[in-house]
Amino acid sequence: MRYIKIIFYLILINIVDQKIANITYDYFLIFPLTFLVYSFYVYKSDSITSSSEAFLFGLFVDIISESFLGLNAIFFCLIAYFINIYSNTFKIFSYLQICLFFGLSSSAYVGFSQMIINIWNFSYITLLVSSVFNIIFCIFIAISSAYLPYFVKRRL
Amino acid sequence: MARISPTRGQKLLFLIYILIGICILYFDITSNSFQSIKNGFKSFKISSSYFLNQITVEQFKNLKERSKSKKTLLEENKNLKNALDLSYLNNYLITKENKFYKNHDMVKYPSQDKTQQSPFKIAQLRSFNPNTFNCCDRHRMYLEIIGNNKNNFNEFMVFNSSGIIGQIIHSQKYYEVMLLTDISHYIPLKSISNDFFCNARGSGRSEIVICTFNPLVDTKEIEVGQIFYSSGLGGIYPKDIEIGKVNNVVQIDSTTVNLEIKLSANPLGSDLYGVMRY
Repeated sequence: MRYIKIIFYLILINIVDQKIANITYDYFLIFPLTFLVYSFYVYKSDSITSSSEAFLFGLFVDIISESFLGLNAIFFCLIAYFINIYSNTFKIFSYLQICLFFGLSSSAYVGFSQMIINIWNFSYITLLVSSVFNIIFCIFIAISSAYLPYFVKRRL
Repeated sequence: MARISPTRGQKLLFLIYILIGICILYFDITSNSFQSIKNGFKSFKISSSYFLNQITVEQFKNLKERSKSKKTLLEENKNLKNALDLSYLNNYLITKENKFYKNHDMVKYPSQDKTQQSPFKIAQLRSFNPNTFNCCDRHRMYLEIIGNNKNNFNEFMVFNSSGIIGQIIHSQKYYEVMLLTDISHYIPLKSISNDFFCNARGSGRSEIVICTFNPLVDTKEIEVGQIFYSSGLGGIYPKDIEIGKVNNVVQIDSTTVNLEIKLSANPLGSDLYGVMRY
């Protein structure tokens, strides 16, 4: 049941992701919402996310987002691996450092995915703008969660 | 609560899956091995979105349509039919086989500015007796010309999407049209090779006009199925418009032969007509 729920959310977020991408691409901005949401899910889960789970969810995202098979599978595995490794280290990190981690990892995602799917038109401006935006977005989420009502914070 | 760090085996599994992912990615980029999976998913996505659309959005749309009154629907239907008939009339004028297409100057526009206006006036059928049309000699119909400012349309040609059907003979409240098949109507015709001319009289029968000629004078042999065109000599109808095909050749006596010509145009084809002067 938990996996069905995750799959449902992934489909939903991917649709939103694609809608946003249609708007933001004109402004040299790529906002990997699906990747960020999955990273956040792994970060917030109490147990270790297994490699097979990350791989299969990544593969599923590859299929629904109509990108090259294996692209998201690799990145989902990598982010799950790093979060699992540093799950306890994150506890001694400040919110800013965690935000920087997620922001930069999403920038890495943008950079590598652009290198694979858009190598002929690779743009450093897109990479730079996306990095700044993603870091600001993560900081904004961290700050806003502090001001959310208690029951929402508890769920987050 | 502290989360357990991944063991060496779990780390190895991550590495294996990443390597598998790289292999899949490499094969996908260099070959089309996974195209069938992607296509399968796409077709599933399209059919499921269509199905969802059918059971949600379309249901609401149908509900909205059902709530419309019958009168509105009838009106809408009538407007659509008129628009369709009008497009058929336009098509008739711009058909490549038609003389109008080849020679635009033959149309006389009501004013000098040809670009701003349609080459013909649109007329709506107001009265027509189909029983008289099928049984008797007097074949008339009454039209109302849309957007008319009480102009005189006498001797204007009337046509529909299938061809010429007659001419206006009286301009009153409604315009009286004498059809080609009316017993008192004559139309000058000719063969395609311009070597045979005759005046075709209305037969009083639907779709048939009769051309009478003397075979001792006109030695040209006429065959069934031969197409006849307007000669333009009467001054009402333009030249070289297809009128009909020879349906029957009747030898009355040694000096009289009747050609029964079946008309291409059927006046019952629609209730919207074009009125034009060439």
